Amino acid sequence: MSRARSLLAVAILAGLSTGALAATQVIHQQGRAFSEESVTVKKGDALTFLNDDTIPHNIMSTSKGNEFNLGSQQPGASTDVTFKEAGDVAVICAIHPRMKMTVKVVD
Amino acid sequence: MMLRSLTARSLSLGTALALIFGFATAGLGAALVGETKQVTLQQKAPSSIDTLKALYRRPSTIPFPKDNPYTPEKAALGKKLYFDTRLSVSMAQSCGSCHSPSFGWGDGLAVGVGNGMNKLGRHSPTVVNAAWGEIFMWDGRLANLEEQALGPIQAAGEMNMPLDHLMQRLGTIPEYKPLFEAAFPKDGMTPKTLAKAIATYERTVVSDRAPFDAWIDGDEKAISEDAKRGFALFNGKAQCMTCHEGWNFTNDGFQDIGLPSKDIGRGEYAPGVIKMQHAFKTPGLREISRRAPFMHDGSLATLEQVVDHYDSGGVDRPSRSDLMRPLGLTAAEKSDLVAFLKTLTSNLTPTAAPVLPR
Repeated sequence: MSRARSLLAVAILAGLSTGALAATQVIHQQGRAFSEESVTVKKGDALTFLNDDTIPHNIMSTSKGNEFNLGSQQPGASTDVTFKEAGDVAVICAIHPRMKMTVKVVD
Repeated sequence: MMLRSLTARSLSLGTALALIFGFATAGLGAALVGETKQVTLQQKAPSSIDTLKALYRRPSTIPFPKDNPYTPEKAALGKKLYFDTRLSVSMAQSCGSCHSPSFGWGDGLAVGVGNGMNKLGRHSPTVVNAAWGEIFMWDGRLANLEEQALGPIQAAGEMNMPLDHLMQRLGTIPEYKPLFEAAFPKDGMTPKTLAKAIATYERTVVSDRAPFDAWIDGDEKAISEDAKRGFALFNGKAQCMTCHEGWNFTNDGFQDIGLPSKDIGRGEYAPGVIKMQHAFKTPGLREISRRAPFMHDGSLATLEQVVDHYDSGGVDRPSRSDLMRPLGLTAAEKSDLVAFLKTLTSNLTPTAAPVLPR
């Protein structure tokens, strides 16, 4: 229920930044875990990283061409990340080493 | 138009991030980070005591990795290697010197002592419940127990033993060969099998049932009323469980808890990631009463001092965990927390010293 509501909220917010396009896929972080182990996005598309956990996370990647670092992301914070290079992107939480996922960026 | 301006802003933000965090391919090579928005999260109702207790139930089996499954032969060989001082160049130190069952599988010292009696930079961590570890060393620089086993053996400041020298020395001890062959029929005696054997033994080092476990299982008399209030504080006002979570009381996360130490810890492996500067891996709390002094630098002598540190919030600096802040605990609350922490220590079964190969 809460996830559906958050999704809706993010869908509305994401809609603002991507015009009339469909909402980006949301990666949740509840319970110190990413909601997906692996997702596929097209090059140039974004994912929304929503901290719907109760504590801060630090989502980042050092995969070449798609490096990013959201810094300390507080509960309730939602940030879009647009992937620019094709390839596998290892996304981690710098704070919580059990949180890891792969974003497959395809042409 | 709106899209373009947002993208432009995102690009500059991404470029700035890339520069700050030292990424090699700043600007064009990095992913674009958009603006952060706030979403209202549904507030969860506080957990009932039974729901909370269910989060702390002990597992019934030890996890062993697929590429190094348990065998009694491996564990028995690993135990001999773990306690064998001939694994150090001086022949004076074994793994068990710093990770001793006599001191809750640590050494009871503020910081470890290595080759030539030199003091090391950090407190010797316990081996207890290492089987459940996600990442190893205070700074997380090693990925698994097999890698970890070979680290201190070779480290110049610790056992200072090059692996080729070690294998040559073990080769001159006739009774080791059949033990390796029994444990590793295909591979025999190699640095890799040595690491696998030690890691297997270490995974069998599990904290025994403590009074806390009896309480979790329903014995209301197993712990004091002070300790029960301490458990509520641990999960409530003091927020200890945001890091010390689950039956082993850690999520293996890295946090700067504001200790006044120059050591940057995890920061060495995450340059530019602000929250990783001065961050160290959250240790589990099992057998904690036997593991003083505390913290990565051994700077706090008692559990009372540890609770005082968290109550103060520690040094306020950009890297400090956002979870650290003054807690405003009363003297009675601090005392309850300490009473609770003491229920996590078992009557650890004595470990028999192994007879070593000659």
